[in-house]
Amino acid sequence: MRIKIVIIILLITSIQSVSGQVLSSSGRLVDDGRFAASTKQVNQFFRRFNAEESKEGDVRYYSDNENYRNRELRKSFINILFDNETSDIPVDLKREFLNTVISESYPQFLAFHGGDWFAEASTVFSYGGRSQEVTLFLKLQPEGLGHEWVIDNVVFKPFTVAFDKPKGDQKKFLHPLSHELGFMNLRRAIQDDPKPESYTPTDFKPDYLTLFIFEIKKGNLKFETVKDVKYHFFQIDKWYFELSQFNRPGFNTGWLISNLVKLGKGDRDIIMNYIYDRK
Amino acid sequence: MKKYILSLLILFSATSMVALAQDNISPARKQAIDSLALEKVKDLSKYISIIGSKETQFSEATRVMDRAEELFAPDAEMGVSSINNSEIAYYKIRSYFERLMALNYDRVNISWYDIHYISDLERQPDGRYVGVITVYQRFEGTSQEAGLNYRDTTKKDITIYVEKKQTQIAGRTVEFWDVMLGDVRVTETSA
Repeated sequence: MRIKIVIIILLITSIQSVSGQVLSSSGRLVDDGRFAASTKQVNQFFRRFNAEESKEGDVRYYSDNENYRNRELRKSFINILFDNETSDIPVDLKREFLNTVISESYPQFLAFHGGDWFAEASTVFSYGGRSQEVTLFLKLQPEGLGHEWVIDNVVFKPFTVAFDKPKGDQKKFLHPLSHELGFMNLRRAIQDDPKPESYTPTDFKPDYLTLFIFEIKKGNLKFETVKDVKYHFFQIDKWYFELSQFNRPGFNTGWLISNLVKLGKGDRDIIMNYIYDRK
Repeated sequence: MKKYILSLLILFSATSMVALAQDNISPARKQAIDSLALEKVKDLSKYISIIGSKETQFSEATRVMDRAEELFAPDAEMGVSSINNSEIAYYKIRSYFERLMALNYDRVNISWYDIHYISDLERQPDGRYVGVITVYQRFEGTSQEAGLNYRDTTKKDITIYVEKKQTQIAGRTVEFWDVMLGDVRVTETSA
């Protein structure tokens, strides 16, 4: 008991209040727990999700540690990994997700190099004389001695509106005997028609990434800044979740799950089309 | 510099027993690298406080800026955003320090929170390892003439590059792991 009192006294005396701020004995500001609670890095989201670090985040648990991937620790961690203030994810859905990932028979973990997750970066480029938003999708890939993030896809409105292939009666065509005239009607098709994509195969899909790189190389697209980043995860079997950063007062901050969907058959394609802004 | 050499040697001796021939970073080695990286981040924190202080003479601030710059890999940048504007503004390290020194306050107080977070190390294509250390800083600036009293808390995510290097000690080639700082992301927090 006496030892406890001494420890408490030592703790109190090691923290002193100076000019309204609480300083530790080392002269550093004392965190009131908000920064400790915050999921400060995406890396910490992975570690917390898998229970691969201590509650305070100061000890990394490796596979030889008895607490590594401890089920109870995971349960307490995952409960704090949801955005509880704005995302309105139903409590029952969160519970079902939690029970799925910490299942005793088939627990599921996140793996940094496990694939099935990617980044969505909202960026700003100068194009056509004004600042415009460009969404870049990035994925991790092996390269050389390690790994790298690469741009995998691009969504840019001036590109998407430029390719609007007409359908049915609206679609013009090169008639089937055009070859007999040495395709002289190409002039009308390409020069006069504002929709030259009409003359492409049925399965034509514009490659926006190639276009994006080309426009940068030509000096037409100029990088300005990054506005926001979020991540999409499909690593958990039959589940999708979105990871976003929340910078706000309180304890529910940092990298948190902002969207959660239980996937049925075909749902993954629907979500991917929605993310990539495809029709 | 002497301090870093000592740290490097300690780092070498602490980790040389752990599979020197291979390039994988064992948990023991990772811990030693974390300590060295944290030491550099602490030095950066100290330098930022000196550069930002109004009591620091210009010549001394310039000298400290030189020292601070030596912590960084070439081309490292600071990316700064605020609560009101999430867009990143980019500054070269030197230019960031110069802006800090030129702030128009009578009194500036920069302090650091007692919390940090260190990521895992990931290997990049050129074989070097990369990690991120997160720290929090409180800035307070007062200007009596303008009646200004500005205060913010920023989160600093600092890139660290970890590389295996060689040096000669008493005619022997000794391998060690060195740490350099890289890009820093500065985000204003709501705290």
